[in-house]
Amino acid sequence: MKSEAKTVIIGGGIIGLAIAYNLAKMGEEDIVVLEKGYLGNGSTFRCGSGIRQQFGDEANIQMMKRSVELWSGLKEELGMDVEFRQTGYLFLLYDEEELESFKKNVALQNKFGVPSRIISPEDAKELVPPLNTEGIIGAAWNHTDGKANPFKAVFAYANAAKKLGVEIYEYTKAEDIKVENSEIKSVITDKGEIKTRRVINAANAWAKLLNAKLGIDIPIEPYKHQSVKTEPIKPGQIEPMVISFKHDGVYLTQEAEQGGIIGGYGLKYGPTYDITPTYEFLRGVSYRFTQIIPSLKYVNVIRIWGGYYAETPDGNAAIGKINEINEYYIAAGFSGHGFMLAPVVGEMMAELIVNGKTKKPLWFYDPYRFERGELRGKAIQMG
Amino acid sequence: MRLNEHPILNFQKRRGKKIKIYFEGQPLDAYEGETIAMALHAAGIRVLSYSGEKHRPRGLFCAIGKCSSCLVKVNGIPNVRSCITLVEDGMRIERQQGKEEIPKTVKPPQWKDAIKVEGDVVIIGGGPAGLMAAINAAKAGAKVVLIDENPMLGGQLVKQTHKFFGKREQFAGVRGVKIAEILIEQAEKNENIELYTETSAIGIFQENDRKLVVAIRKNKELVEFWGKAIVVATGAMEKMIPFENNDLPGIYGAGAIQTLMNTYGVKPADRVLIVGAGNVGLILAYQLLQAGVEVKAIIEAMPKVGGYFVHAAKVRRLGIPILTRHTILRAEGKEKVERAIVAQLDENWKPIPGTEKVFDVDVIALAVGLRPSIELLHQAGCQIAYIRELSGHVVRRDARMETTIKGIFVAGDAAGIEEATTAMLEGKIAGISAALYSGKSNISWLKEIEKTQKELTEFRSGPFGKHVLEGIKKVMVGEINE
Repeated sequence: MKSEAKTVIIGGGIIGLAIAYNLAKMGEEDIVVLEKGYLGNGSTFRCGSGIRQQFGDEANIQMMKRSVELWSGLKEELGMDVEFRQTGYLFLLYDEEELESFKKNVALQNKFGVPSRIISPEDAKELVPPLNTEGIIGAAWNHTDGKANPFKAVFAYANAAKKLGVEIYEYTKAEDIKVENSEIKSVITDKGEIKTRRVINAANAWAKLLNAKLGIDIPIEPYKHQSVKTEPIKPGQIEPMVISFKHDGVYLTQEAEQGGIIGGYGLKYGPTYDITPTYEFLRGVSYRFTQIIPSLKYVNVIRIWGGYYAETPDGNAAIGKINEINEYYIAAGFSGHGFMLAPVVGEMMAELIVNGKTKKPLWFYDPYRFERGELRGKAIQMG
Repeated sequence: MRLNEHPILNFQKRRGKKIKIYFEGQPLDAYEGETIAMALHAAGIRVLSYSGEKHRPRGLFCAIGKCSSCLVKVNGIPNVRSCITLVEDGMRIERQQGKEEIPKTVKPPQWKDAIKVEGDVVIIGGGPAGLMAAINAAKAGAKVVLIDENPMLGGQLVKQTHKFFGKREQFAGVRGVKIAEILIEQAEKNENIELYTETSAIGIFQENDRKLVVAIRKNKELVEFWGKAIVVATGAMEKMIPFENNDLPGIYGAGAIQTLMNTYGVKPADRVLIVGAGNVGLILAYQLLQAGVEVKAIIEAMPKVGGYFVHAAKVRRLGIPILTRHTILRAEGKEKVERAIVAQLDENWKPIPGTEKVFDVDVIALAVGLRPSIELLHQAGCQIAYIRELSGHVVRRDARMETTIKGIFVAGDAAGIEEATTAMLEGKIAGISAALYSGKSNISWLKEIEKTQKELTEFRSGPFGKHVLEGIKKVMVGEINE
């Protein structure tokens, strides 16, 4: 292990790795990524794999529009197929109120060039043949949304970062950060000390524990969410991410290659670091899946797992520079959107660190908005 | 073809009502009480599906619901395990073509509360270990619920036509199939034991101070089994070895062949080559002869026979050659096995060119060992260790068969591959321990546990037990009760 580095990134999930890759791409040298387990184990490998631009606010729409552009080119850029597929996001709408609010979102999304639109239940059934359209009055549909493979995406970023000289240390836990007179001196790990003047906290669910060592308080709390995966069926039957808020935010989609159904719903526990799967979820998700896609009752669940939504009070991440300590940055609290945002967050953080500024709407994710009481509109949290 | 004459078993008596099923649109005769795979095999059908990528024909392998090699479409529903699903009159069965579509128009299921079954001890698996656990937990005072995903209880005992060794109280001199009858009858007669067959456990959850086994029954019905303690006696799964065309229909696990001929009275083949001369391979050879099947040879990669001398001697007396230091190179055949190519091995385990032999057989039996079925224990969060002597990944446990999760016990092959007699003894220990844990028993039963532990030690004192004992030493947690 190195004893000194110019930049230390704490967290080997897709956010930390995307930041490392983008920094190296912009010419930064001497970068270390610390991961306390194996790469991706914290939240990325546990995620629902969805990538969407259908948000209800300008910043997230712009960010995700750029992110989708980046996702589209990742295969070439990183040299590995991350199975990004633009199979769309389909929000099922059951009443007028829901329809009205999605119409507003669609108008906003269209303004920024996202081609979402409201479609009829019949059109929705055509997109997802086994869909139960009973009670549906319309659906919000964007065909440029999609999904990717979280495992491959993590390895693609890690390998590309390594090629550019980034050093990645797995099973290496950052235990403390030494600071003197607001200047970072080093990161203390369970494998030794690394001298550095710059630290990026990309520890998501564990971000607040590191912050606490430095006396910094940004409200990010870990909540347990769960997902299931079924046995494989013929791929292509449920291509979009299908979401219903009427059924407590149930979301599901079919893996592009293997054909298993992946999904979950809004049941959450916490704040907690316990991610043991629960029967309440298994039963609840089975009920909700079969209400929107009834023939899933014939399909066996083969896996169930828990993971974290590192949530902030408004469901948007805390990204930016920490004022109290020089060269201390944070990109955490993604509240369930970290995977889809990773490419653009990586790019934005690298711009911020290398150039000192970015044209992306960094202001929206200002870590100090909570203490000022300026909460953003709650971001849609499903899928 | 169905077996009607058998020196030990009487299938005429066992078979249910004759019914009609349809395979790829063609009507076939079947009997109530037999599984889809058995009825199809009896009608000469070996190919049950084609693989998704390369469209290779696939057939049975394990025949006890563990390997998913036998998936078919039943009444339009894909991914049905034909080996453990019973036939029904008028059933429409089709070969599965890789991954299949699900129906497009189905009514959403009427959702009601899951059926709840309550007990003190919930036992998963109704083989020798599970049945003994149930009988003894009930004797010790617990209310017991036992579930098994197969249509009948008895596990692998129901297919053992040979007589057991050991002591009289360990059923020495009694055939396995008879032991199964005795245990099943004891369990059925005990009013403190509830039995559920065709019920697949899919998960174990801890809910406050109680444990929950979630299971699926026919028509995807969800059932909750609640208890204070759980005994997992899920048995084992057959190992596969790599060789060319090892996925051809007609390459069966030894247990699958026993299921065909000894459980359901279906003639498994005309001519068989057996790979592996351990006890399973040796016993299988003379069971095949009992069923009127020709056994061409038994091949064994090791320099000597692995099973008991008495079994090997009997097989040799019956004229079956045992070729040690031989391995299988490949299987050949168009849609199913037509022949097997074997060769001799040199001291570096490399096939010696020029020693190839061709056997014209229609089934190749793999008797190359088993591995413990620990999936549920793993899901529950029990600590797992790889122990070569116990044939794979097993759970860490103590002398009372309790795993690293309090209240979850293990017994039989799921705890490490051994044999039916030790499975029964472990089942007894686990059953009583679980009853004690549930608070429904009293400490006088500790004596019975100690007695059974002694019996186990004695049974394992022979040369074959030495290996297992070394494995158990490695897997044990906490103090060993001597």
